[in-house]
Amino acid sequence: MKYTLFVGCNIPARVQQYEIAARRVSDELGIVLVDNPEFKCCGYPLQNNDNKSYLLMAARNLALAEQQGLDMMVLCKCCFGSLKKAAHQIAQDEALQGEVYTFLAKEGLRYSGKTEIKHFLSVLYHDVGVAALKEKIPLPFTELNIATHYGCHALRPSDVTEFDNPVKPRLFDELVKVTGAKSVDWPLQLECCGAPLMGVNDALSMDLTEKKLTDCNDAGADYVCVACPYCQMQFDNVQHMMSAERQLAFSMPSIVFPQLLGLAMGIPGKSLGLELNVLDMSTIGNYLGKI
Amino acid sequence: MFYTFMLYIALALFVSGLVYNISNWFRCTIGTATDDMTPWGRVKAALSGMRGLFNKEKMTILGEVFGQNVLLQKHILKQDRLRWVMHMSIFASFMFLLIFHAFDKIIVTPVFNRYYLALNPWLILFGLTILAGLGISLYRRYFLKVSRLKTSGMDLSVITILFVIIASGIIMELTKLSSYNYYQKIWYVHITASLLGLAYLPFSKMFHVFTTPLSLLANAVMDENSDPANITTRQIMELDACIQCSSCSKSCSVAVACDSKKNNTILPSERMTFLKNYIVNKKIGAKRLAAIQQGIYLCTNCDRCTVVCPAGINLRELWFSAREELVQRGNAVDLMLTPFSYFRGLNHQKIDGKQYEIPLDNIKNLLTQGHAAAPDADGAAIALTPENKALHRSMGLSDRSESFAYCFSCENCSTVCPVVMNYADSQQSLDMLPHQIIRSVALGLKELATGSTMLWNCLTCYQCQEHCPQGVKVTDIFNKLKIVSVEDK
Repeated sequence: MKYTLFVGCNIPARVQQYEIAARRVSDELGIVLVDNPEFKCCGYPLQNNDNKSYLLMAARNLALAEQQGLDMMVLCKCCFGSLKKAAHQIAQDEALQGEVYTFLAKEGLRYSGKTEIKHFLSVLYHDVGVAALKEKIPLPFTELNIATHYGCHALRPSDVTEFDNPVKPRLFDELVKVTGAKSVDWPLQLECCGAPLMGVNDALSMDLTEKKLTDCNDAGADYVCVACPYCQMQFDNVQHMMSAERQLAFSMPSIVFPQLLGLAMGIPGKSLGLELNVLDMSTIGNYLGKI
Repeated sequence: MFYTFMLYIALALFVSGLVYNISNWFRCTIGTATDDMTPWGRVKAALSGMRGLFNKEKMTILGEVFGQNVLLQKHILKQDRLRWVMHMSIFASFMFLLIFHAFDKIIVTPVFNRYYLALNPWLILFGLTILAGLGISLYRRYFLKVSRLKTSGMDLSVITILFVIIASGIIMELTKLSSYNYYQKIWYVHITASLLGLAYLPFSKMFHVFTTPLSLLANAVMDENSDPANITTRQIMELDACIQCSSCSKSCSVAVACDSKKNNTILPSERMTFLKNYIVNKKIGAKRLAAIQQGIYLCTNCDRCTVVCPAGINLRELWFSAREELVQRGNAVDLMLTPFSYFRGLNHQKIDGKQYEIPLDNIKNLLTQGHAAAPDADGAAIALTPENKALHRSMGLSDRSESFAYCFSCENCSTVCPVVMNYADSQQSLDMLPHQIIRSVALGLKELATGSTMLWNCLTCYQCQEHCPQGVKVTDIFNKLKIVSVEDK
């Protein structure tokens, strides 16, 4: 299992714990990750402003991966959705293809659509497999309730992203169950975290985040679990801001999935960047291996 | 006699340039944090900040940075070996020549009292090393064509001056013993070029010999919680520390957009050029303002530029300050309604509440102003003719957005929309619901389709599109409507 790793812009700057934990866990699982320092922004922020710039940015990354001859493993769900969507648009539209190819040729790059774009969770579920993961977990969690948050841009539009069943997904829940934790049912599981409107309409963005977190809390979750830097920042950094600005009655810390998996695999929290989370994660170890 | 006089002129120019630059560090502002501070207040803040450095912990940090980064420039070595060789050839050799040759009477002779050689091979060797460094610099610019590296008139004049100083020096040293007459002539060239270099130094990129070490040292002991007055002063000084090496632009995450948007100021190094001029004269034309606003807002705040900057400039904080000042200048910035705003939102507690909302309101108002044409609660009639075919045509350009035609108004999209769900009075709060926007597109009613609060509060979560029984690409159509709308304004 060898992939070129696409970390995007937010993770190295603001959610380093995701990359630290993903690399560490991948290492243990025999997933070989190759870096490409030439990867740039996936184009996501321009999707609703300038389609051409968006497509060129996405296509350049895809062509670079193709040059490496590797499939791409993406950590961020918005990067994942954006790259998938670009590949889909380019494949469908011949006029666009011409424009993209001409642009890429200036840098000596080619894009034919060979590279497969995979989200980290899909790599764990499909390529590593649940059975193989189970073998790596000596001391699973007990009595730990986790609310899985799927993230919009991996799940939808499902005909483009092909991530999981968009109405009743189970990939993420299965992965959480491997760690011994219980994946709780919560009605707002598939809704947006609110991040796309942060900075545009903060009140609305925080309303949506608050609803989701309240729903997690009502469902009896101890932590919400994500696999996307935007979702993590929204549930971690923004929740921290909200606890002061909105006097939240509870705290629902968010953990990035490879951190949860890594802990269950027996990796110490420090090696998973657990202290980089804004909200306190110090007590999660108490759920480990209680029999 | 004449050259002594010229020396004083050059020195006077050098000192006045130095004073002018340093006074700018305290007089000019960037960002909105220190609007009410006097230059004198900032000088006092800087002095008190420096007093705080006299302890073991800070001195150790400063010592380390001075050794590792200022003298040995290890961070450049890590990034690009050829560049390190080039810079070291020029920097180390020039320092040697400065101390043992230019200042020999002041520094060397008193210490080594028998220091004088008829023909000094060291001078020639270090001179040749500098020439090699200059050669590498031209090779990088004209043969390697390092990406995003631009060559300006100033770059060429600095290289030329340095070349003349060194080349004439070497020839002088070699001819000293053979022909006094020739030596004398070359001496004039050497001394004139040296004085020219001295006078030009504070006005050119050569000034970085002072500011780059200062920037490296200041950033090692300052953080975002330092005195805002000192942060502003440091940020102005950092503009002088930038030599347009373009490392930042080479690593910039959104550099591709600079080509497709035809806006150079998206590149960090170009933003620096702009800001250098802007801080001394803030009057700029509307077109230029719009370009720099787009340039500085089209940024994912990925921090790559800050990480790679060889001068240690804290570009992340510089962009934050400059961006805030520029978006407050009244013009509506369409990129503010994209995920590029996330970083600003994440830091909204650092911005005054009212100032935070004004630029957002500006763009929202501009894009929704046509919406006055929307039907009121009494259901006043809207004119449906003549049919607006242009809107239909423009929709066809994106990913199957012509699918609007299949809508049969089942309202599923509006039912599953989390934004609609958030408001008890969604119709009033949002002007239009998603299915109404799709119907407006079908009817060719552009103002209705593009001007609603709903459209500009779309999360792009794709719930509507996923749940449409007719396969209407609702979210994609919304994205397309936003693109069309921004292009029109």
